Formats: sequence, C-alpha cells, structure tokens
Amino acid sequence: KAMCSGKLQTGLLVASYFVYLLVGAAVFQALERTAEKQEKIAAAQMKEAFLQNFTHLTVAEMEQFMKNLSEAIQNGVYPAGNESQIEDSNWDFSNSFFFAGTVVSTIGYGTLHPKTAGGQIFCVFFALFGIPLNIVFLHRVGKMLSLLCKKLGKFLYEKGMRKKKIKFLTLLFFLVTGILVFLCLPSLFFQITEGWSYSEGIYFAFITLSTIGFGDYVVGKQPGRNYFSYYRMLVAIWILFGLAWIALLFNL
Amino acid sequence: VLLALYMGYVGLGAGVLRALERPAEVRAAQHLVQQHWELLANHTCLRGPALQRLIEGIIQAYKSGITLQGNTTSLGRWDFSGSFFFSISAITTIGYGNLSPSTATGRIFCILFALFGIPLNLVLLNEIGQLVLLGVQHCAHYLEEVFHWQKKTSLLIKTCALVTGFLLFLLLPPLLFSDKEGWSYEEGFYYSFITLSTIGFGDYVIGMNPDRTYPSWYKNVVSLWIIFGMAWLALVIKFCISFLE
Repeated sequence: KAMCSGKLQTGLLVASYFVYLLVGAAVFQALERTAEKQEKIAAAQMKEAFLQNFTHLTVAEMEQFMKNLSEAIQNGVYPAGNESQIEDSNWDFSNSFFFAGTVVSTIGYGTLHPKTAGGQIFCVFFALFGIPLNIVFLHRVGKMLSLLCKKLGKFLYEKGMRKKKIKFLTLLFFLVTGILVFLCLPSLFFQITEGWSYSEGIYFAFITLSTIGFGDYVVGKQPGRNYFSYYRMLVAIWILFGLAWIALLFNL
Repeated sequence: VLLALYMGYVGLGAGVLRALERPAEVRAAQHLVQQHWELLANHTCLRGPALQRLIEGIIQAYKSGITLQGNTTSLGRWDFSGSFFFSISAITTIGYGNLSPSTATGRIFCILFALFGIPLNLVLLNEIGQLVLLGVQHCAHYLEEVFHWQKKTSLLIKTCALVTGFLLFLLLPPLLFSDKEGWSYEEGFYYSFITLSTIGFGDYVIGMNPDRTYPSWYKNVVSLWIIFGMAWLALVIKFCISFLE
C-alpha cells in the first residue's frame, strides 16, 4: 500500500510539473508576443528606410554585411564606434575571470562564450571539476553562516524563548536580511552604476542568484560607461555570498 | 584553504580561456572593421553616422532575438513551442537567454514563475534520481541472487549505470544534433554538457536556425532528454561530492 501511494505521489509530481510548464508557456506567450511583433516591425522599417536612403546599395551586399555583423555580435564583438575597440578585449584577464566564475557557479550568462573548439572543450572539463568544487565551497560557507544562526538561536534560548519560536524567528531574520542585502540594496547600487531601473535591478539580481543567468542584463557591459576598477570584483563577491545565502536557506 | 583553492581554480580557468580565445576575437574584430570601411568606401554616398545608427539598430534587434536576414524576419520566437522551451530553460535554471522577456510584466512573471518553479524542478529531479537509483539497486540485488556473485557486483552495476547514462545523455545526443542542426560532433557535445550542467550559455540553442526545418517531435524529445539527463547528472555530482567530503 505504501508503494502504491509512493507511485501516486510521483505521478502527481510529474503531472503537476508539466502542467506548471504549460501554464508558464501560455502566459509568457501572451505577455511577450505583441512586444516581439512591434520590435520586428520596427527593425524591418529601419532596414527599409536605410535601403531607401541609399538606393544604389544592392540588397545582396546589405544582406552580406548584416550577416557578418550578426556573426560578429554572436562572437561578442560590438562594433559601435569609429574603430572597434580592438585594444579593449572581451577576454582580458578580469573578464575571463568573471567568465570562469559564471561557468563554475552555473549561472552562464552567455554574453561571453568560447568560440574556438579548444576553448569549448576546455570549458567542458573546467566545469566538470569546477561545479562540484563550487557546490562544496558554497556548502561550507553556508555551514559557517548557519553556525552564526545557531549562536543567535542559543542567545535567544538563554533569554527564555521557546525552541519553535526561535527557529521561526531565525529563519525570518535570515530571510529578511538576505533579501535586503542581496536583492534590494544591490538593485539600488545598480541603479547608480548601470543606469537600470529599480525593477530591472531586482530582475537581474534574481536571475543571477537563482543561477538562471539569461544574460540579457549583465554588469559592466554598458557601452560608454565608466566603471571603477574593482566593480566587477565587488559584484563577483556579492554573487558568491548571495549564492551561499541561498544554499543556507535550503539548509534551514 | 578551500577559498584559496576555489579562487585559484577560477583564476587558472580564466588564464587558459584568455589564451585560447583572445586571438580569434582579435581576428573577428579586425575582420569586421575591415568590412565596415570597405562598405563605406564602396558607396561614397553612404555616410558614417547613418551606418552607425543602422549597426546600433541591428545590435538592438539582435539582443531582442530578431535576425534581419532575408526578406522576412525570422519566425516568431514567442509562439507556444518557443515559450514552452523558455519555461523549461527558466525553471531548470539553464537560462539560455537567446529568448528573454522584454516586457516589464513578463519579467515580473518570470521571477514569480521561477521562484516556485525551481524548487518544483529540484523535487522532480530528486524523485527521478531516487527512482533510477532504486532501479539500479534492484538490478544489483537480482544479479547477486541469480548468479551468486560477491558484493563487488554493486560497484560493477553502478559503473555500468554511469557509463550507460554517459552514453545515452552525452555521447549519443550530439549525433542527433549534428543531423538536425548541422553542428559538428564537438559542438553537439559542448552543447549537451553546457545544457545538462544548467550553465546554459545560449550560444548554441536547438531549433533556432531559420534555414532548417525540424520534425514536430524534435523539441519534445529534447525536453525529455534535458530532464532525464539533468537527473542523471545530478546523481553523478552527488556521488562526486560525497566522494570529496
């Protein structure tokens, strides 16, 4: 009888999972379809207008240029400017470090990705050992933070509170401080340094810390902005502790 | 000590990747600049700023997932099948990013969707993993009883399961991809790994090539592969971690 209920549970789980996905798909479609259509129209109009202004430019040449441009963009080369900043590399050490970090934490923004076959193979092996290393590391940090939690609990216990209340309070405390420190405050910070709106900042913080990492918003990539030199390092440290906080929440 | 190891590992990776990728990047950038100037030179009435604006417009469109090739722009991304695939990429935390919500409501919904979806996904993967583990153990017991082998069978069975999983989820799919997507085997393998580990760069995504036609079962089969492959990989990583600790 126990096995039957277990199977039922699993079946229910699978069903709810797929239902969840279907519902999500429908909602996303409803929300994004019209905006996408508008963008497409705008892009087509822009192309038309351009061709009209320069009528002797053949369509074939134009297509070729755009194809090459798209490939360049895929490679992470953004040629907006008089000379494409060849000196300013996407793969300088600080950017590569950030990239390695996004691989190991499985965030994987994708705005930067290896294009050479050698780079790709190396990336696979690098991740194969790096991801367990990352998990173990976060586990440790989470444990250290949870020790802090226990000390707080002990302190409250000595003051005469009941255990259940303590557990609830410590969980609440860590949840609230975590949300403040890792979601709300950084978004304010990003408003200043990146020029995003507050909600965009929160979206970025959530997508990063959940390791989804779409890559539509990435720190330090706005053209024409000056970032102070330790910006990326600071953000990387924030990501690290944010992930550890999430690991801690799972432990509690 | 762990911190030092971690930082060192990441630093090492950074150094190697930089050495591997920098030359190709420089070449691509130079190539593009050359093209840009060639275009301007060949059509002297074409002025710099106008071209600049066009380029920026193309970049903007590209970031929204729109390619401007051909007479018509590429097929819609936010149709149901595309949205379904997007939902999967969100709750499995793969997060390709080739498609991402551009409306504010879409983003808010995305956050809420993921907030509940990710734990749901973890629970499901855990369940699948447990079932597979149970199955493997049953197999081992059965073989022990039938053939009277010693305790070493459990290790043998486990390695066998590991290898089958490896074959099924990492070595065979690239063949399918190279047939349907036109990627090389190495690219297919790279894609498989990046997807199953949930890193999900988005540089390679299935079913996104406007010049190719895909059979209707394709995306669904790949979605199933992602789920089972992730469950298997999660088991493997669990073993690795218990080994490390």
